[in-house]
This record gives sequence, C-alpha cells and structure tokens, in this order.
Amino acid sequence: MGPREWSGGRAVSERLERLVNLTATLLDTRRPLTLEEIAARLEPSYPEDKVARRRAFSRDKETLRDLGVPILTSAIEGFSTEIGYRIRPEDYYLPDPGLSAEERAALHVAVTAVRLDGGEAQEGLRKLGGVEGTGAPALAALAVTDGLAELFDAVARRRVVEFEYRGDERRLEPYGVVHRFGHWYVVGRDQDKDAPRAFRIDRFDGPSRSGPDGAFEPPAGFDPSEGLRSDPMTYGDDRPVEARVLVDAARAAWVVDELGDNAVVARREDGAVVVQLAVVNREAFRAFVVGLLEHAEVLAPPDLRSDLIDWLRAVAGTPA
Amino acid sequence: MTPPVAGSRLRRILALIPWILTHPGVTISDLAHRFDVRESELESDLALLPMCGLPPYTADRLIDVWVGDDGAVSIRLAEYFERPLRLTPSEGVALLAAGRALLAVPGSDPRGPLATALDKLEAALGARGALSIDVGGSNFLDRLTDATAAGEQLEIDYYSFARDEMTTRVVDPLRVFHALGAWYLAAYCHRADGERLFRVDRVRAVRSTGEPAPPHPSAGDDDLVDLVYRPDPSDPRVRLRLRPDAAWVAENLPTEDAKPRADGGWDVVLAVSGAAFLERLLLRLGPSATVVGPPAARAARADAARRVLARYGR
Repeated sequence: MGPREWSGGRAVSERLERLVNLTATLLDTRRPLTLEEIAARLEPSYPEDKVARRRAFSRDKETLRDLGVPILTSAIEGFSTEIGYRIRPEDYYLPDPGLSAEERAALHVAVTAVRLDGGEAQEGLRKLGGVEGTGAPALAALAVTDGLAELFDAVARRRVVEFEYRGDERRLEPYGVVHRFGHWYVVGRDQDKDAPRAFRIDRFDGPSRSGPDGAFEPPAGFDPSEGLRSDPMTYGDDRPVEARVLVDAARAAWVVDELGDNAVVARREDGAVVVQLAVVNREAFRAFVVGLLEHAEVLAPPDLRSDLIDWLRAVAGTPA
Repeated sequence: MTPPVAGSRLRRILALIPWILTHPGVTISDLAHRFDVRESELESDLALLPMCGLPPYTADRLIDVWVGDDGAVSIRLAEYFERPLRLTPSEGVALLAAGRALLAVPGSDPRGPLATALDKLEAALGARGALSIDVGGSNFLDRLTDATAAGEQLEIDYYSFARDEMTTRVVDPLRVFHALGAWYLAAYCHRADGERLFRVDRVRAVRSTGEPAPPHPSAGDDDLVDLVYRPDPSDPRVRLRLRPDAAWVAENLPTEDAKPRADGGWDVVLAVSGAAFLERLLLRLGPSATVVGPPAARAARADAARRVLARYGR
C-alpha cells in the first residue's frame, strides 16, 4: 500500500506519523535519548530552530502523555547533565488479561448497557481488542466524578492520598471505590483517626494528592462495599446518639423499607411505627426527618428534638 | 493545543496494530466493526503505517502492511507494538464500573462471562476487589422488568414523593432503567394519559390487569439522565439564592438556570414537580436558601414549617 492523502490534510498526517514514530523510537531504545538524539533520528523531522523544536517536542510529549503513554524522564550524567527520554516496554504494555471472545462480547454489552460520561470505557475496550458481537440498549447511567480515576489508581498502586474534605485535611489509605445512591465514595483507613472512613468523592474540596506506590497493605479480603455503611445518616463524625422517630402509618412502609425491619422498635395499633437509628450526622438526620414532613416526629433524645424545633422555628419565622 | 483528531486517531492506531499483529488475516470489514470506525477511516489508518517505523526508516525498518484482494490484513516489522497501550486509570475504572454495575443488576449471572472478564481485568489492572457498585434493588424490580419484556399491562400503587400522595394507576410499561442512583419505570400512565416516570422503590404494589399493554410510540432515548431530568414544562418554577453550603442543590437537582455567585453560592431556578418536593427541600435547606420568588413559594416554606411544628405542640 502506498501513502495516500485524506481529509485531515498533510499536516495532520505528518504529525500522526511523527507521533507513531516517536512512540516506536522511545519504546525500542534501551537507554534514554536526549532531545538532540531524538531530533537527529526522527522522521518526519522536528524544526531546525531550537526553540521551535523544543516546543514541537513538548507538544508531542503532552499528546502522548494525555493518551497515557508513560514517557520516562531521567537525568543523563555526562559532560553536562542532560534530560533523556524513553518508554519502558513494561510500563507501556498492557498485561494480557487473556479475555475470550465471549468475555469481550460481555464487556461490550456492559459498556453499551451502562452509560458513563466520557467514552473512556469504549476506548478501554478498543485496547482489549475492540467490539465483539452486538451491544445492548441503555439500561443504566452512572455518573463519573472528577477525581475518581486518580483515587482508583491510588487504590491499585496502594498510594496514600491527601485531600481537603469539608475544610479538614485528611490522609487516607484508600482500599476501594464504591458507587452507591448515585454517588462515588472512597473507603479506606484514615491515618490520623486510625479508623475506617468513607468519603464522598464529589464533596472533596479540591483534587487529591497521592504519595509513593506500595505505601500500605489493605486488609486481606477487604470488600469496599462493606466499608460503606448502608445508610448515609450513619455517616459522619458527630458523636453517635441513638434517636427515636415516630412515623405515621401513611409513611411507615416506606421508612421501614429504607431503614430495614431491624430499625423498628415499636408498632402502634394505628399502623404507625417507632424507628431507632444511630445518628452520627445531624444534618443528614434532619434532612431525613423533615423529608417526612408532618408525618414524623423526633421522640428522643431531647436535644435532637429541640434542635429540630429550633430549626423549624427559624424557617417558619416564628420567634422562640 | 493538541488537535483532538491526532490524539484519537493515534489512540486507535496504537490499538489496531497489536490486534492485527496477533490476528493476521483479519479483514478490513471486521476491523471497522471491531474498532467502531468507517472502513474508509480504517484504510486511512492502514495507509499511514508504511510511513512509520524506526530510524533510519529504510525498507527493513518501516512497518510492512499487507492487504489482500479479499480485504485480509497482515502487518510485519512492528514487534515493538506487539501489546496495546496500558489502560489509563480512567479507562480502567470506566470498564470496571460498567461491568460491575451490569453484574449487580438482579438477574445477572454471577459466574457468567462478564464476571470472569471483570476478574481478569481487575487482575491485569492490579486492582482486585478495588471497585464495587451497588445499583440497589427494589421489591418490584424483577416483576416490572418481566412485565416490560412481556408487554403486560399493570395496575400499580405508587407513592408520589414529590406530591406526597399515594395513587393507584393503570400503566403500560415501556422500559426499566437505572439512573442517578435509582431504578425507574417509564410507562404510559392511563391516569395521566401520557408517558410518566416512576421510581421503582416507591411502587408499593403491582397487579396484572390481565390485558396486554398496547404499543405506544415511546422515547427510545438513550440519554437516561436526561429522561429523569426532563422537567414538565407546566411545572411551576421557583427561584432560589443558595449559600455555599447548599451548592449541592445546583449540582444534584435539575436546575434550569444556575449562576454561580462570587461568595461560592448559587442563584438557581428549579422546576417544582410537586408541592411536597419544594417543602422538603426548603425545610432541609433552612437558612442556607432564600426564596427569591414567587411569593407563594415563600409562603409554602413557612406553612410547611408550621405544620411540622404543630406535631411538637408548638
């Protein structure tokens, strides 16, 4: 086959050729190459002018890194210290997961049935050998939260992550990521509190920073979903208190569904129930109770009851 | 700036080469299907390869591409591309999330090819057991899924959360799906005389009417989040000013007009699908939200607070 022209034009195809050749060269070399060495070998060649050359190379490097090509930078000691570049095959190559055609088809069904923003799943599938069989109609949509991929990577590499969460600085050994109630959580061991903790990723105050690989060993057989308590109300750092809430018959079935039968401590003749729950997050508890409007009443403890009354008075505009 | 075309084509080419290397004789049409591109695009990719290789770019160093009359493709002299590029963390998490989510749907085979594929993928990523998905399940999920597949008309008891009322309605199920953390039934509702969305966890009872569901021209829309977020044009609108600690409203609720404020708060317009929806939201937000308008919404907020206070004898 000979070279052809296509709609992208010569400039695009030249750049693509250079990117393929740059990848091949860096992957093939056994030692880091300096930009001078790369420029002397590579075709289509970089500009002669040094500034333009460095700029073109930086742009190529960035494109490759955006794609996930792991370009290693190292200092070459010599007459003067220079920077060398290479790609170690063991960093670049995808370990063969050994998928059968049937398994690839199942993954294809999954990425068509479950929609995630961004199309990253489809790109991943291409690396695994592309589309097999026919897909499926959309069955579920999952949100992808900023920072999820970095945290997942930290889990896989066993890196401690540091991040700000509601104004607090946290250091976490991340054991897993969990999607529940439409949100992503990271679960692990909080190093400062020396206790298991879970954090909602979209509530981070900013991006997380991660430390070196292999910094901890997760407990054997850890199940990330167990690190996440099933109820958002049991979720926080407030001193735990047991609360009792009376729920009218009209909403009883729904509340029992939400909290489980174990939460029910009394059933009244009119069909109302009294539920008991451990509150470690007063805000979430309040949201739960006011969500039931006039169909529920906090019975105990007194301070939770009076907190709620004060809150409602403020909203109603009634003075205490 | 990187022209996105170079990046996405390069990504495809770096996946294409190893596949052809390990599957010599694969046809152009199979490749186009597999990599989800038009045959003409694929031919362009293949046309690029003979210009690529290693220095000094002599015939024995350039990639050798062979296309037979039958469209069978083979490649030589590209051994350094024998394996595809590693999955990025974003790709890995997206694949596992999609797979784990589907596997968590009631009725999936926990030992089928999807399960084994995910185990292999996790092992390759060094992330065994690192990701878990809970899509929830509700009492009637299986029943509604089966009825949808069978085209069965149903009568359901449904708790409308937004209106805080229990209703009984005859529905023709159209599809069942999961979005934003909950399962939904899209159905033609005879009571509303139109297509409606029902949260499966708020369905309290399901009975068969004994009739087949007549066909309805249904939204075959693939944007599931959009289906959930599509506000009814006839719903009243309310304008809120949110403090920074209530920013989640702007992020998580279907706001129509959300403007960030300098203090980190938001000005938003919300479609109000039911009075109870608005009351709950305003009671929960308390001092973190101010109702800009209409006045009726301000009155509803105070009225709801007084109704709940009455329970406490206040």
